[in-house]
Amino acid sequence: MRIVVAEDLYLLRDGMVRLIEAYGHEVVGTATTGPETLAALREFRPDVAVVDVRMPPTQTDEGLRAALAARAEVPGLPVLILSQYVEQLYARELLADGSGGVGYFLKESVFDADQFVDALERVAAGGTAMDPAVIAKLLSSGSSHRRLGGLTEREHSVLALMAEGLSNQAIAGRLFLSDSAISKYTTSLFGKLGITDDGSNNRRVLAVLAYLNNP
Amino acid sequence: MGVRGSWPARAGTGFVRACAVAAVTLLIPAVWAGAVVWGIAWGAANPWSWVGPLVLVCVGTLALARPVCRAVRFLVARWSGTAIPSGYRQAPPVTRMATGHWWNGFDYHRTRRDALMDQRWRLRWKDPANGRDLRFTAIAPFMAGIAACVPPAGVVLAAVGLGTGTPAALLGLLVTVASSPYAWRPVVPVAVRFLRPSATMALADRVNELTGQRADATVAQAAEIHRIERDLHDGAQARLVALGMSLATVERLMETDPERARALMREARAGATASLAELRDLVHGINPPVLNDRGLVDAVRALALDSPLETEVVADVPGRLDAPVESALYFGVAELLTNAVKHARATRMRISLAQDGTGLVVETEDDGRGGAVVRDGGGLAGLRRRLAVFDGSLEITSPAGGPTRARIMVPCESL
Repeated sequence: MRIVVAEDLYLLRDGMVRLIEAYGHEVVGTATTGPETLAALREFRPDVAVVDVRMPPTQTDEGLRAALAARAEVPGLPVLILSQYVEQLYARELLADGSGGVGYFLKESVFDADQFVDALERVAAGGTAMDPAVIAKLLSSGSSHRRLGGLTEREHSVLALMAEGLSNQAIAGRLFLSDSAISKYTTSLFGKLGITDDGSNNRRVLAVLAYLNNP
Repeated sequence: MGVRGSWPARAGTGFVRACAVAAVTLLIPAVWAGAVVWGIAWGAANPWSWVGPLVLVCVGTLALARPVCRAVRFLVARWSGTAIPSGYRQAPPVTRMATGHWWNGFDYHRTRRDALMDQRWRLRWKDPANGRDLRFTAIAPFMAGIAACVPPAGVVLAAVGLGTGTPAALLGLLVTVASSPYAWRPVVPVAVRFLRPSATMALADRVNELTGQRADATVAQAAEIHRIERDLHDGAQARLVALGMSLATVERLMETDPERARALMREARAGATASLAELRDLVHGINPPVLNDRGLVDAVRALALDSPLETEVVADVPGRLDAPVESALYFGVAELLTNAVKHARATRMRISLAQDGTGLVVETEDDGRGGAVVRDGGGLAGLRRRLAVFDGSLEITSPAGGPTRARIMVPCESL
């Protein structure tokens, strides 16, 4: 994959580049400020970009805004946002266009290199990848809490993993259950929430996130 | 509050009020007149006969000045609804310092009794309000007292006229009825003009207020720094030490026991993740990232999203405010949200932020059970103190049974 890395701290940027290259992917460009990020995304049109939220010159959410601007120009441009903290507000903004190809992770998710690269690949393929912390916040917000009251505990955890962007197979692996058991849970929870399941994993995840995103 | 109603009713009320104004403002001149009569009665030519009247005048004036002013203030507030701040010095608490001495707000004393006596003396006789009160008692008889005498004087004239059977009776009655609705009125502007705290007193009050706020801010800042230091020391620092030790052990175990080394590595990674989470919470408590990134409105939206309440945010605030003001307002809203969840057991909350030409107003309303009170040392009192630094205010209405409404107002220039 061709990847752009936007991160202002040298140590983190360098580590990330080395990690990505160790998995056999190519880093085609790096950026250290918000405007540079937007320029790099326009120029290289990478398969996926890894973007830090807080960057110079203002040290505010430059990276996030650059990513949103690039996605407004190139709909569905795959972007994985990394941050020291996760905010529902930012997750909702990223998901708002409903076109997929987004990820939002805490920086320490890089500690588990396999999962990180797996998430990168999912995002590059147009899927979504959300940090468990983001999903936990989305699930526990006031309106979600009320609407999800009817789910069983197991259905709740299946929904959470699905919202992170995992396939049925991956969810089965995480929960130590069979694929068929997972599809039984998904059918019943979709019935309870009134979401239509059209079989495609990607669209299904987007439907779940859209459901959670709806305040 | 003006006098409404029919003409006779207005005249009647006005007459009573004029009599009250005349009685209050002419009390001290009456004492002076009494003293003069007394002196003449003892012998005007003998200087010694004036000693008694002189003492009477001095003591009477000093003792009566404050009650007279209080009475005028009370009457004006009752009749016109204009509350005139008195500006008298308030007694600061008498506290024992670490040195063992007692501080009464002005000076140190060896015993509590001395401190209290000194405080009472200073409050009564060294109050700059005394000079203003004396000046008012000298001005008021001329500017309000004489006018207020007209209706009662008319009555006297009428009575004399009736006794002698002259047309003066009719004239006296006419004067009373015609002047009654107006004769008491001059006391209101005179009191407003001369009885409010002088610029010097207002300045002194402001200095005292600011001194208090500065002390509060210093204490709060020190406590905050102490909390951050403790959190870092017990949390992230300790974890990093543990992490270093784990890595040192791993280095040793790598050759001899690779399986245990791998387990330790996993532990070390979990430790690093946990210390990052702790640092994140700490940073969030000091300066929430969204507040830094996006400003107050989005930060409040983020807060609302994270809250277990169903929260609606309505905002009309163009642009950014000063960072300290934003921070104070943000933590204010956070406090109110927490209270709504914890104490009021609310399920919904509405937050509105609006800015007009004079300031920024944040209003919240929940559907909880109410009964919130501002207690000393409580969260709401702390919030009020933090807002006071910006001359902001916090009003809470929270009847038992709910709902709780809060209004935070911070003056700031329009953007």
